Amino acid sequence: MAGGGGGGDGEPEFQIAPMIDVLLVLLIFFMSIATTAVSRYDPTIELPVAPDANKKDDSEGELVFNIAWKVQTQTAVTTYEERVVNPEDVVPSMIAHKKANPKARVLVRSDALTPVRYISAVVAAAANAGISDVTFATLSR
Amino acid sequence: MKMPIQQANPDVGFQIAPMIDVVFVILVFFMALAAQIKIEQILQTKLPGRAESSASTEFVDEQILAVSEDGEISLNDEAYDSPQSRDLPQLTGTLLRLKESSDAAKSKLVVTLISNPDSPYYRTIDVLNALSVAGITNVTFTSDTEE
Repeated sequence: MAGGGGGGDGEPEFQIAPMIDVLLVLLIFFMSIATTAVSRYDPTIELPVAPDANKKDDSEGELVFNIAWKVQTQTAVTTYEERVVNPEDVVPSMIAHKKANPKARVLVRSDALTPVRYISAVVAAAANAGISDVTFATLSR
Repeated sequence: MKMPIQQANPDVGFQIAPMIDVVFVILVFFMALAAQIKIEQILQTKLPGRAESSASTEFVDEQILAVSEDGEISLNDEAYDSPQSRDLPQLTGTLLRLKESSDAAKSKLVVTLISNPDSPYYRTIDVLNALSVAGITNVTFTSDTEE
């Protein structure tokens, strides 16, 4: 980028080039943060609070189940790969994921008030698919 | 004073000002998006499975934790804390002592968590959080089977 002369007496001028550099770096930074929150994470779900849960290191091989509890109808809606599913029906897909990536693990994201039976259905599907790593998403506060 | 007459097709060079405007708008958009992101954490469990082993099997120290429909928590059929308590101090203290004693005896501590199907999910998470505080990592999650 073009640099100023650095003369001793001259009035410092506003340099547009470094400003654009900084602006683009900021833009890339916020874009990278925002793209980590992809659509497979349902933002409407109110996760339970667990102050002493572990920090998530990576999302490799993560099979995300979103379980939304509908208070009005007293029913839960389970979504997997952006579609509403019955956990038992996606066992073949989970087996394929497990074969492709032995580190595959199930991440359960559920509303805090969901009855455990719906979480158990997902855990049972994971067990049927041979996936033993099941993690539960929480918030720190 | 006369104004200069504009040419029909003036050769306009690269304009920096509109580019900065657009970049600013995109920057503000992504900043607003990033501000809404909540940082999630995880509680891990390991389901029981079949594994072939050539070495001898070590005996493990298994504890049964149960969550009832109304949120009451019991360890080996003994109730701990009130259903309204979220941080579960009694249970956490007992689990810490169990962990210490199993470490001292060099035995593997395994906890099986059995939740009533109608109990709220957050209550199971409270128990998993207490297990995380106690440093117990061998947790098996199960649910009562319905008749």
